[in-house]
Amino acid sequence: MSQSAVANFLLQSRGESRDLDAFVVAARFSRDGRRVGFALGDGTVRLVAVGAPGDWASVTVHDGAVLDFASDPAGDGFISGGDDGKLRRVTGDGTVSDVASFGMKWVEHVATYALDKGKGLIAASAGKIVRLFDQAGQQLKELTHPSTVTGLVFDGKGKRIGASHYNGASLWFVAAKTDTPRKLEWKGSHTGIIIHPDGEAVVTAMQENALHGWKLPDGQHMRMSGYPAKTERLSFTRNGKWMASSGADAMVLWPFFGGGPMGKAPLELAGGDGIICTQVACNPKDEIVAGGFADGLVVVADIGSSRIVPVVPPEHGSISTLAWSPNGTQLAVGTETGFAAVIDFAER
Amino acid sequence: MADSNTQVPVTVLTGYLGAGKTTLLNRILTEQHGRKYAVVINEFGELGVDNDLVVDSDEEVFEMNNGCICCTVRGDLIRIVGGLMKRRDKFDGIIIETTGLANPAPVAQTFFVDDTVKAKTRLDAIVTVVDAKHLPARLADSHEAADQIAFADVIVLNKTDLVTPEELDAVEATIRSINRFAIIHRTQRAELPIAQVLDRGAFDLDRILTLHPDFLDGDDDHEHNEDVSSMSFEVEKPIDPEKFNAWIGVLLQDKGQDLLRTKGILHYANEDRRFAFQAVHMIADGDFIGPSKDGDPKTSRLVFIGRNLNRPQLRRGFESCAAD
Repeated sequence: MSQSAVANFLLQSRGESRDLDAFVVAARFSRDGRRVGFALGDGTVRLVAVGAPGDWASVTVHDGAVLDFASDPAGDGFISGGDDGKLRRVTGDGTVSDVASFGMKWVEHVATYALDKGKGLIAASAGKIVRLFDQAGQQLKELTHPSTVTGLVFDGKGKRIGASHYNGASLWFVAAKTDTPRKLEWKGSHTGIIIHPDGEAVVTAMQENALHGWKLPDGQHMRMSGYPAKTERLSFTRNGKWMASSGADAMVLWPFFGGGPMGKAPLELAGGDGIICTQVACNPKDEIVAGGFADGLVVVADIGSSRIVPVVPPEHGSISTLAWSPNGTQLAVGTETGFAAVIDFAER
Repeated sequence: MADSNTQVPVTVLTGYLGAGKTTLLNRILTEQHGRKYAVVINEFGELGVDNDLVVDSDEEVFEMNNGCICCTVRGDLIRIVGGLMKRRDKFDGIIIETTGLANPAPVAQTFFVDDTVKAKTRLDAIVTVVDAKHLPARLADSHEAADQIAFADVIVLNKTDLVTPEELDAVEATIRSINRFAIIHRTQRAELPIAQVLDRGAFDLDRILTLHPDFLDGDDDHEHNEDVSSMSFEVEKPIDPEKFNAWIGVLLQDKGQDLLRTKGILHYANEDRRFAFQAVHMIADGDFIGPSKDGDPKTSRLVFIGRNLNRPQLRRGFESCAAD
């Protein structure tokens, strides 16, 4: 981004930031949008009240590193998986409690889904096993996969859960009486998964710097390739029109409309510097996407106009996580070297 | 380019069940050496040490979709290295224990194939523990025993108290016939200074140059058979990088299945720095390393460890890479 040298980064005028001295594994907003949790490689979670900058409370959640982190589907806090084999809950006031223990195995993936009336679902994976819990931590199911689960996601309605693994992905119905997955098969190592918001497609990232997809319900294959690096993050826009992806020297957005993505060229945003995009996050309200790069640059792009707004200058380490608040007005940013920020996009 | 100072050294520990791998691992973890290691193991419970950086893993060997039939990687290691990097400041190195029957190629290839693993770690050495008494039987009944020796940079020849001096010499000669480049340590109960095993920098190839040339070029009577053997070749003239790449590319493509490990230090024409080349089966990698010491001969050397090695063909091929 050649204009970044003179650009006005929003971090300076609208951001609140800290150096936290540990790898920022994930930033997430609580379901009510009032708090941000930064989950770190030192096993702590930093809790930040949105709009009320003060102390960032530090809570030790794991004996080891946090590996994945999600909003609590039924509370004001978060659900955290660690390399100590523990799945834990952190409430907004910093109280930590156990949800489940997976023994010696790392809890590598956590996904949550908020249902009506304070109910919700919590899913976590360790090795080949996915366990599904209700919001209170009561185990509902244990789902076994042919190899280690590398990604875990609920669909847009909380009806199905998808898990990526070697040679494909498995789709399970949350409420099924007998657990038989829909197997989506494609040879090779799949390293992450996302489901289209309307359930029209499943897309996985692959070891060979490519994406693979299956249209639903027919299972027609989709191949999206040309990435110079592995795709770490996939994100659909709210209406499912675009799927943003990392792994290239731009944010790469595939059109999921007008017959796409097959046979359509993707939209590339904020490229041109040869720096790999490491993180993307689509805004939950508007057709806007945030992108983070290996040099620490964060930008936000309007998909319709391709207009780019610089947010964080390339000075604080490779971007490791990006998250929007549920109402789409706040962006949380974290880096591998422990920089963390919350930027306010609300109209003033 | 990856910076070797910030890359985490990785030691791979192989060897048949019962050879003394776990004994060596316990020794590494209990000895007071002031360094902290993250240990990736597959057979939890055998380890008698409480260490919060022990990672329990299932060996998951994945084929790559790159059209190369022998290109397999350890998918679990790619994930684990990624996870460990989130608390990089908590350890000095990584030790990976493989199961007894494991073929070492997927582990080694993981360090060539995955960009993140390549950027964040460097393969320090492959250490193979062998049982002096049972090695001949293992070699007779499995491919893996020979492969584990072929891949080794360091061989711990253990349980020497269970054999006669004559038997021990015979076993060592057998090991040498497979891999004449590895350092061999004779031990009982895997007792040896840990520094002989960890932080060897063995995979950076420099050591190849320090081996005695006469020893390297000794007679080889294993040229056309199914046994694993090793050969080294030298070229005095500078190497033409284009010729070398063309030759080695075709060679690895054609014979990669048989070539377990290929490594070399090359002096290119008009280049002060030396080029360190290495390959596991068909997967090759290379990097410029520092120049040789003043006064040292600028001899390029290439080493092959594998099956069905054709000495005259390899020699002619390497010699044809000399710059005009």
